[in-house]
Amino acid sequence: MSFEPRIVGFLCNWCSYTGADLAGTSRIQYPPNVRVIRVNCSARIDPSFVVKALAIGADGVLLCGCHPGDCHYSTGNYKALRRYRLLSSMLGGLGIERDRVRLEWVSASEGQRFAEVVTDMTERLRPLGPSRVLSTLKTDRLER
Amino acid sequence: MERRIGVYVCNCGTNIAKVVDCDALEQFAAALPGVTVAKSYRYMCSNPGQEMIAADIKEHGLDRVVVSACSPRMHERTFRGALRNAGLNPYLLEMANIREQCSWVHHERLPATEKAKALTLAAVRRVAHHEPLDPMTAEMCPTTLILGGGIAGLTAALEIADSGYPVYLVEKAARLGGNLARVDLTAPHLDSARLLLDERLRRVAGHDLIEVLLGTRLERLEGFIGNFSATVTTGQGATAESRRLSVGSVIVCTGYREFDASRITHYGYGKLPNVVTSFELEKMLRRGRVEMKSGKTPRNVAIIHCVGSRSPEFHGYCSRVCCMTALKYAQEIKAALPGTAVSDLYIDMHAFGKGAEEFYRKGSEVKTLFLMYDKNDRPVIRAAEPGDGCDMLIEVNETLSGEVIEIPADLVVLMVGMEAREDAAEVARLVNISQDREGWFIESHPKLDPVATTTEGIFIAGTCAAPKDIPDTVAQARAAAARILGKIAKGRLEIDAVYAEVSDDRCSGCRVCNELCPYSAIEYDADRRRSHVISAVCKACGACVAACPSAAIQGRHATDTQIMAQIAGLMT
Repeated sequence: MSFEPRIVGFLCNWCSYTGADLAGTSRIQYPPNVRVIRVNCSARIDPSFVVKALAIGADGVLLCGCHPGDCHYSTGNYKALRRYRLLSSMLGGLGIERDRVRLEWVSASEGQRFAEVVTDMTERLRPLGPSRVLSTLKTDRLER
Repeated sequence: MERRIGVYVCNCGTNIAKVVDCDALEQFAAALPGVTVAKSYRYMCSNPGQEMIAADIKEHGLDRVVVSACSPRMHERTFRGALRNAGLNPYLLEMANIREQCSWVHHERLPATEKAKALTLAAVRRVAHHEPLDPMTAEMCPTTLILGGGIAGLTAALEIADSGYPVYLVEKAARLGGNLARVDLTAPHLDSARLLLDERLRRVAGHDLIEVLLGTRLERLEGFIGNFSATVTTGQGATAESRRLSVGSVIVCTGYREFDASRITHYGYGKLPNVVTSFELEKMLRRGRVEMKSGKTPRNVAIIHCVGSRSPEFHGYCSRVCCMTALKYAQEIKAALPGTAVSDLYIDMHAFGKGAEEFYRKGSEVKTLFLMYDKNDRPVIRAAEPGDGCDMLIEVNETLSGEVIEIPADLVVLMVGMEAREDAAEVARLVNISQDREGWFIESHPKLDPVATTTEGIFIAGTCAAPKDIPDTVAQARAAAARILGKIAKGRLEIDAVYAEVSDDRCSGCRVCNELCPYSAIEYDADRRRSHVISAVCKACGACVAACPSAAIQGRHATDTQIMAQIAGLMT
């Protein structure tokens, strides 16, 4: 059996979560690898959530917010973007592959796009195999 | 932490159960630590479903509830109500979305059931950390701001003002009436648009409680439901004047604009003088003379449907009103010019709604030549040669006969579709609502909540949300007004108890959060050297929570502990 990555998704309530719901109401199929946590805004996504997910066994983390200019809270997605860039370079330094943590803009009308993002991410993670983070990080330090 | 959690697995008829093994999910949930009872049921949102939850809360002394069902965007409010009815704080609920984000997007039973288990487990882990919260209350300002003075705006304004509450009716243009003021007769009753409007315009103008602001735009909207502050500017340039209006609700009814027919080159609009749009024909009909550019009476009129609509290149949707309007034109032209031949080139005749099919039948009786074309093979119009005896020739691949037919035309009417206005994106940003891919404003729920939006206190009505006819537009305008009147009648508003809080003990007074807040809801107290959140202004985005270097800010109902527990649940 081929390796099936487990992806934790953090979706903002107003655009991306609604877009993911639209994929459902439109019956657009995508791989069941993603499991979603709803946050009000992508700016709520504390980088430690991402690290925690990776540390306890997620093979990938998907962050989704509104398109630039469309944030329900006006600029939250820019804050998410800045944090993502910092986090991404830090994770790269730790030897975690770039494809494992991904930030995407998905609007409330982009059910199709959400399905495509999940499909693409799943396909990119399969050849990478299980995340090695678990064996390299001391997870107990991350408990808050 | 010993919890008594109830888990309720909704089958949603077969919507969930046909993909997710709900019995297996129920058994899985029942065995989880902290779970006192787990049940699977056909429709959890139904009255018996909700009563079952309420009864269990009492019988088993449940202190937390998880409902694995549809999206929380659909029924979170419903189930919070069920908890409240059973005397449990509504925030002690968590939903797992196993329909929109599971059974509807996956078809393999085993992986879908595994995913549903993970989502349910995560919800159970999270809900254990939920805390009871009391909603805040705020005053409801009884004044309403209406954007757009078309039939929707006029109707809503009168509905609210007639009930005794003040309205600001803001119109960007120099006159009221919107697109309807450009129309002659309306289908299918052939009553005059002017008559429909005039009575409303007169009443609006004379109404003590309606202030009409023409040539006026919304510049800024701040605040929250019941307590908005709107800045509007009248006029332009040096003479522009700005005002601040205190309002409790906003109805957006900014309407549509017509599709630009010159974008379709093979119809020759803008080049061939006798190709006109439906609005240009309306103008002729209102003047009482249907004529060619030269002033001559057309002997052959052709009406082409779906211009800009139902087309992969332009707009995929149907503009809904054009078929009936085209039939209206055929009848009006035949009545005015009995010697003129009318042909009607259509893709499908969409005669929906009350009286429409009858109107279509009546239209066929006035000797209109109906020609059906395929949407991927549209008619082509070219100028006729001097000997042809007409102004233009239209080549159409007629689907019913399967023949390529050429028909003469002296006047061609293009049934231009509706599209989102050029400033729709700006309006959406100002009032904080979303647009779909075509630019229409998005409703809170397309079926169950069609005039509300995702921003509380902001409503949409009419064609700014999607193409619709006059009855539907008026119904929406009245619906939006009714929603607002309901809030006003209650007097005080319940506001979501979800906001950020700063812990005095942890705050170092660094002020990082002050600048981050998009609503300026965080104030710094220089004497105490601490920041604090003005809870009524906070919209709970959580930007400050994630940014605080001292972890001093907590997002109520989205705490780090709750989210971390949910992550752990997903990965177990």
